[in-house]
Amino acid sequence: MDFPLLTVIVFLPLAGAALVALPGNGRPGAARVIAATVAAVDLVLVGWLTLRFDTGAGMQFAEKAAWVPQVGITYHLAVDGMSLAMVALSALLTLLAIVASWKTEKKPAMWFSMLLLLEVGMNGVFVAMDFVLFYVFWELVLVPMYFLIATWGGPRREYAAIKFFLYTLFGSVFMLVGIIALYLQTGTFDILAMAEAGGLAPSFQWWVFAAFFLGFAVKVPVFPLHTWLPDAHVEAPTAASVLLAGILLKMGSYGFLRISLPILPDAARQWSGFLAALAAISIVYGAAVAFAQTDMKKLVAYSSVSHMGFVMLGIASLTPEGLNGAVAVMFSHGVVTGMLFFLVGMVYERTHTRTIAEVSGLSSRVPVAGGLLAFASFASLGLPGLSGFVGEFLSLVGVWSSQIWAGWVVVAAVGVLLAAAYMLWLVQRVVLGGSSPAVETIGDLTKAEIWVLAPLVVLTITVGVYWDSLLRFTDPAVNAVLTLMGGA
Amino acid sequence: MGYVALIPLLPALAFAILTPMSRKARTRAVPLALCAALGSLALSVAAFVSVWPGGHAEEPVWQAGVTLAHVGERAVSLGFQLEPVNALMLLVVTVVGTAVQVYSLGYMHREDRIGWYYAVLSLFTAAMLALVLSDNFLGLFMAWEVMGLCSYLLIGFWHEQEGPRLASIKAFLTTKVGDLGFMLALAVIYAEVGSFDFAAVLHAHTWAPAAATAVALLLLFGAMGKSAQVPLHVWLPDAMAGPTPASALIHAATMVAAGVFLVVRAYPIFEASDTALMWTLGVGLVTALAAGLLACVQHDIKKVLAYSTISQLGFMFIALGAGGATAGLYHLVTHAFFKSLLFLGAGVIIHSAHTQDMREMGGLAKHLPVTTAVFGAGALALAGIVPFSGFWSKDEILTVLLHEGHYVGFALALAAAFVTAFYVSRLWFRVFTGPTQQAELHEAHRSMLAPMVVLAAITAGVGFFGPRLGAFLGHDIPWPELSTAAISTGVAGAGIALGWFVYGRSTAVVNTRALKQRYANLYGVLANKYYFDLTYGYFVIGGYSALSRASAAFDSRVVDGVVNGAAAAWRRTAERGWAFDSTIIDGVVNGTAAIVKEAGASLRKIQSGRVRNYQLLVSGAVVLLVVWILVKGA
Repeated sequence: MDFPLLTVIVFLPLAGAALVALPGNGRPGAARVIAATVAAVDLVLVGWLTLRFDTGAGMQFAEKAAWVPQVGITYHLAVDGMSLAMVALSALLTLLAIVASWKTEKKPAMWFSMLLLLEVGMNGVFVAMDFVLFYVFWELVLVPMYFLIATWGGPRREYAAIKFFLYTLFGSVFMLVGIIALYLQTGTFDILAMAEAGGLAPSFQWWVFAAFFLGFAVKVPVFPLHTWLPDAHVEAPTAASVLLAGILLKMGSYGFLRISLPILPDAARQWSGFLAALAAISIVYGAAVAFAQTDMKKLVAYSSVSHMGFVMLGIASLTPEGLNGAVAVMFSHGVVTGMLFFLVGMVYERTHTRTIAEVSGLSSRVPVAGGLLAFASFASLGLPGLSGFVGEFLSLVGVWSSQIWAGWVVVAAVGVLLAAAYMLWLVQRVVLGGSSPAVETIGDLTKAEIWVLAPLVVLTITVGVYWDSLLRFTDPAVNAVLTLMGGA
Repeated sequence: MGYVALIPLLPALAFAILTPMSRKARTRAVPLALCAALGSLALSVAAFVSVWPGGHAEEPVWQAGVTLAHVGERAVSLGFQLEPVNALMLLVVTVVGTAVQVYSLGYMHREDRIGWYYAVLSLFTAAMLALVLSDNFLGLFMAWEVMGLCSYLLIGFWHEQEGPRLASIKAFLTTKVGDLGFMLALAVIYAEVGSFDFAAVLHAHTWAPAAATAVALLLLFGAMGKSAQVPLHVWLPDAMAGPTPASALIHAATMVAAGVFLVVRAYPIFEASDTALMWTLGVGLVTALAAGLLACVQHDIKKVLAYSTISQLGFMFIALGAGGATAGLYHLVTHAFFKSLLFLGAGVIIHSAHTQDMREMGGLAKHLPVTTAVFGAGALALAGIVPFSGFWSKDEILTVLLHEGHYVGFALALAAAFVTAFYVSRLWFRVFTGPTQQAELHEAHRSMLAPMVVLAAITAGVGFFGPRLGAFLGHDIPWPELSTAAISTGVAGAGIALGWFVYGRSTAVVNTRALKQRYANLYGVLANKYYFDLTYGYFVIGGYSALSRASAAFDSRVVDGVVNGAAAAWRRTAERGWAFDSTIIDGVVNGTAAIVKEAGASLRKIQSGRVRNYQLLVSGAVVLLVVWILVKGA
């Protein structure tokens, strides 16, 4: 048997989480060094995985072992390009989150332990190809995120954490029902085998799709199931916000791509119009609400609702362009919004405020921070040449070529304009102008902070300039999804 | 021919090198940007020479590309192509671009962010050159958007001040409105053809009238945003808040002409749709006349030139709509030179007079001899006086209108030409003649005058090469017909004479208050710029702000209210002791109670340990499931 690379990538952080907890909160130095080392090794392993990954070969690095053979529950891990992109993002953002929160003083061992535990769940969700395993990882993510928000969060952290937890749990209960229903119908828990077999009755598919929809749509989140997100983001500490927006939201859209579309193709076609409508509404609604925000973090949170709408729009198109666009937005949003949350956090650490009206003129006082915030804003509003444009554009093109009503495309396109409006309005008030009292005395980004942001800047430009650097991985994967759907 | 790819890459490289530098290092690296511009200019000349003598050809002279992305069975590529049309454009962009960069050395030398200015100018030049060279609509669009970014950055160069800050966001968002049209056009093109390449879209594909109309109108909308056509023109006058040389390059010569270039590029699609051509003509006529009239009531010298630019771009759209793509392109070229010349001249005037208000100027001719001479060449070209360049290209447009039988259009265009001559004359007599109102007026440094002299020479001479240029482009640019030339010269002369009559006769400072009072209604409409800004400000911006606030309130009260309400309702239901599994009720009650209590601001009651219950619940559910499955499976 080959080296179980995926298992190591998924469970190394678990060992790390235990190891970090050992020295205890009294020795923060040991905890963070261990945490960073483990996360770095994991990232290197993912890098190695990427190098060895064959873009032409579909699912690979499969590891399959009986787990509960009586009912066909298997320990089944594998990656395709879609999974790989997400795992890579997860490993990178975890490492950056650890470095960015280097100086955490409150219960440091527990903090880094939770971040690593979170990585286990995040990595696992994207490579698990067995429903039970998938579900375990899916729920596993909730625990560390709950503690990250509830222990290290802002003043309303308890409320936000419980809301996040219950809301997602509410969705995943339905997902569990869907999983059981599928099992009873097919007799297997294997996601890939189920998709290969196909042949589920359309009416049955419709109901199962509905169940999964609730589970995934809460996570994405799709309007009107999104209100946990702004609360969670505002209360969450910076690193948790980065991972929440960067990875956790993508679990929902990944679910649609990995499970709903290939296993329930007829239902997916029936639901696509509805999905597109919700997506278009999310785009415009999220953008409109973002425009009214007075808190930087809340603005970025609502912008996530808007951007994830483009993911859903691409998925609803059921075209190669749209699905590639969806995954591209997932990746880019992780990178760019990660950057935005990091920057907002760095500004907050210095000014002790996130109120837009109290922060202005960053570029005159702290040009590096201001410049990078402007850069991230332009990436976020979809400037061509940066990563945000790739997915949004492909989603729009894909959905136009599909059966979806063209009106939703126009609505979504208006969302691009609205994104420019709230992002530039933020830049206008925060980055430009003369510096406000809160900004007057602060220092610019440190070397360490620049190093946290640098990989994200590089990724934003690389993907934006050379689309295939990302799409060469995602394109075969989404084409496989479409093939499984019977060439929709 | 691979060197052609270097033409946009050199300035792009300059941008990439300058941007990460510190402010000080960037200032020292300014010559690097200049070298890049000169390099591009030299290579563009080489490219032009290699295409010479041009003529009509089906295939580009040179083409190269890379695959940007593989999507499904299709490949999206980006590439460059070289042919007469864009060889000419390369020359225009690099000549004006280099002139502006040389001029800026003097104009901007006191700015401590001059390095950043040159970096953005370089990025802009790179984007404009890439746009010109692009062999497909996607690449054109991407360059188009990057230019929008540069325009935003340069308009807001002095962002510490409120005016430039607001003008920059206004410019970006207004052009972005147009860009939505462009983007949707791309979607339609892709759905229709499956490719963005010019070869596939324009030549290999036969456009049905309906699809052609849709695409052409969407592209036209995009072009209207970038080229500041009514009703998307409102950003350009405000864009004058940026540094004047940047205005000369971006908001006069090149970027704003990109809309015209786009229509020229997509012309086969426009030709397949009479509707689209008609709309193009209409937009052009309205803009040429309406903006020309506004130029007559502006006091800020840059705003006069800005409205003049809008109006002249309108002339180009007239040509395109009337079926004369070459005439439109010709006017684009001549306008690029004479309008950038006028802007650079205005920069000297502003520096010298320390004001942009023409009412505070006067008698500058005595103090700024070189500027006066070269500005005069530009002004005569703009007014359409033979032999300056504007005369020839405008006559081409008028001729096309006549030949195609657009008599109403011809009349309106003549009216716009009359207005043009009037505001040019007004500007001239306001600024250069009459009593001097300031002390210490100084001519600019040689480094600023030299580029202007070059542009003036081109403005004075280029018209004599019209027919040769037409042959190079593979089309006909005939010498003007005597009758048309006579009419247009007469109209221009009348406009200048009227301007002289109002502003030039008196030796005292002219006051037009009496005129304004006599035509109060008309003046009110013009002074308020036809109420476009007010309408947009009130309805579009005000409306969206209100909508956005309402959405935010709706989100927290209704959408989130339902969530919290449901949680509360669930708690009450549970409290009444309905028969549910006790574990579940316990878990959810605790959770919802926590939410409700939180809402009641009693924060401390919740213990973080409680979440273990939920996790227990989930793990319990999974265990139960597995057990149940085991039982069932066995």
